[in-house]
Order: sequence, then structure tokens, then C-alpha cells
Amino acid sequence: MSLQKDPEGFEKKILHQYADFTNARVLEVGCGEGRLTWKYAAASRLTVGLDPDQDAVRVAQADSPHDLRGHVHFTRASAKNIPLAKERFDIAVLAWSL
Amino acid sequence: MVHALDEIRRTLTPDGILIDLRPVEDNWLVEVASQDAVQVAGKLTDVPIGQADDAAAFRAMREVESLGWFVREREQEFSFFYYWDTPSEMKEFIDTEWEDFEKIEDSVLKAAQSVWASANADARVRVRVKMLITRWRKIQEPPSR
Repeated sequence: MSLQKDPEGFEKKILHQYADFTNARVLEVGCGEGRLTWKYAAASRLTVGLDPDQDAVRVAQADSPHDLRGHVHFTRASAKNIPLAKERFDIAVLAWSL
Repeated sequence: MVHALDEIRRTLTPDGILIDLRPVEDNWLVEVASQDAVQVAGKLTDVPIGQADDAAAFRAMREVESLGWFVREREQEFSFFYYWDTPSEMKEFIDTEWEDFEKIEDSVLKAAQSVWASANADARVRVRVKMLITRWRKIQEPPSR
């Protein structure tokens, strides 16, 4: 299939207008396979992606660029019960998931 | 949904921000785009399940705003395009991936096929998805007495 999503890059451009990810600790809820994650994670200090779909999390983990693996993590979890400590993140991103 | 937003709020620092980025149903346009021109072929049809999901999301955000958990700082709409090489590939995707929230009527598909066939050789079909991005700021809880 020839599907291409947002080749103009509007989503990335606007996302960066709305939040400064530089050195930030970011929680992404509904990260899926990490399509959006890779548009900001390199700038962050820590990125944690959550998704209830184990298969999607596996793909995100497998596609992680080697140089980002130290500070980008993906976990299977639901937003209804986030297995993380309180007040840990500067930015939360609801990625096509509300 | 509100419980999930409370969980997200719990993980945020006292002045943390929440970015809500999502598509909003609005009978998205089907277009044929080439280097030189963009032609509108028609509109997709919103499906009730998707409309209900959108309504629930807006309701949840209004509720957390009224509860004083977050304050809305900034918001805008923008376009997010899905492109396919051919109308049939577009239809296959819509029928399988978007079945819960959008459908393409035969008349719109036929119009897209007609416009695409007569357009320049580099023409592709695309759907203009309406996106909404909102930045919310966590409101600090008053110190307990």
C-alpha cells in the first residue's frame, strides 16, 4: 500500500509550537507504534510511551533508534492505571487517544 | 475518560502541561493533489460511533476544566493529510481502518476516480483530516490546611 501520512510535517511543526520538549520529561499516552514519539523524543531528557496494545508497544520498541534507547521507553499500560510515580513528567501528550 | 485524565494529572509536575492532539470528525474532504493543483472530489461521511467518541472527549475535557484540574492555554485546528497513490487504495484503507468513524459513499469514490484519472500523472488522492491541538496547564492544588 502506498499510504503516506502527513508528508508536509504539519503535525510535528505545530506540536513543537505547543510544547518545548528540550530536556523535558515526557509521558505519551496512546503512543501506538511510536509514530508521534519520534517527532520529539530526541530533544527530551526522558520519554515514556504507554499503550494498551502489546503488539504496538513491541513495534515501537523494535523501531527505537539505537541512540535514543537510553532515554525512550515503551510500556504496555492503560491511561486508567498509569504505573508511574506522581509528579514525574513535565509534559503529557495525549496522542490521538482521548 | 475523566479518570484517565486524573491519572495523567497525577503524573505531571505541579506546573506541567498536557497536549491533547486528536482528529475531529467533520466530513473530511477527499481531494486529488498534484504538484500544480488540488481538486476537491467530495466529502467522507461521519459515522455515529465516531461522532459519539468526539462528543465524549469534549465532554471529558469540559469536566476536568470545570473541576479545576487543568486550564486551557492555547488551541487551534490544522489539517493532517493521508495520501494514497490510487482511489482504490484509499477506499480499502477507509473501509478497513476507519470503519468505526468514517465511510466513503460510492458517489464520492466515483468522483475521486474521475478527477484522479484526468489529473496530472503525479496526482495522488488524499483525505484532509481535521485535527485539534490543545495545550492545558495543570492547576496546582491549594496547600492543604
